[in-house]
Amino acid sequence: MDRMNDELPPGVGEAWKALEARADQRAARVDVERVAAGVVERLRREGARPSRFRWITPATLRAAAAVVVLVAGAAVVRMATRAHEAVRLPVGISAIDSLSSGQLEAVWEAAGEVSPVADSVAATSAGTSLDDLSEAQLEVLLASLNGAEG
Amino acid sequence: MGVPALSVADDGDLIARYLAGEESAAAELVRRHATALARFIAAHGAPDEELEDLTQETLFKAFRALGTFRGGASFRTWLLAIGGNVLKDRRRRWRRNQVVALTPDIRDPSGDPGAQAEAGWTAERLQEGIAKLARLQREVFLMRAQQGLGYDEIAGGLGISEGAARVHYHHAVKRLKAWIA
Repeated sequence: MDRMNDELPPGVGEAWKALEARADQRAARVDVERVAAGVVERLRREGARPSRFRWITPATLRAAAAVVVLVAGAAVVRMATRAHEAVRLPVGISAIDSLSSGQLEAVWEAAGEVSPVADSVAATSAGTSLDDLSEAQLEVLLASLNGAEG
Repeated sequence: MGVPALSVADDGDLIARYLAGEESAAAELVRRHATALARFIAAHGAPDEELEDLTQETLFKAFRALGTFRGGASFRTWLLAIGGNVLKDRRRRWRRNQVVALTPDIRDPSGDPGAQAEAGWTAERLQEGIAKLARLQREVFLMRAQQGLGYDEIAGGLGISEGAARVHYHHAVKRLKAWIA
């Protein structure tokens, strides 16, 4: 896979390349065959192979089915009771880097914070990316995302 | 006439073969991923003398936990996440004896001594900065900058949302930029 050096800002990018070169050199000195032999030996000595299915028995399947029914029921009740108070984010989390300035503002508001960059964001007609946000703003955004997940 | 394509087992096949009792499949998985894992661990600031041991420890823990691997991310990403956990346990010791003195082999290709000194200094500062990042910021940064992983893959490996992975990455970059400025 390609590394993402080109998306790093000037200064960090050059330093990262130098650091990477060093990490590559150090990793190349690791003896892969010795590591493989060591891992296999430790697995042989210290532990039985894990089994994906050892725990699956009729009793555990019945218990799992009961848990699924309970959790699904609780989720339905929770959704029904929270429907009125839920704060909905205006966009999907997966598209966060492509939010427009207006959408980002809506996220700040949803997180209960007033964006300190409201004026500067409003002054630009171009879309705002995460690169433009301060650390404090990133913290607010992360908190709002965590809230949306929970 | 073309050369017939060699059949190369994917990670999933090797995992299944190991779980079925084929020990050589574990060795093959190690050969496939150990160098990338060692690079990841090295970039975290692990000292030279612990690098091979940490790589082996991470792989051993991964094989012991293989029954819990659900395929939400690739085996490589899952392995890096386990590496992050192993590193967490050693990090306190490293903080006590500030590790990885970057050696003069970090050089500017131009050969200019001034540029070499500058490259060495900024790389050292960056290494310090990476060590000071919050754990998730550091892991997301290294998974993306070093391993080239997409946010969806990183999110799957670390058990966070894709949006959170993006924010952690941008946070890390901002802090590193400020640190080496």
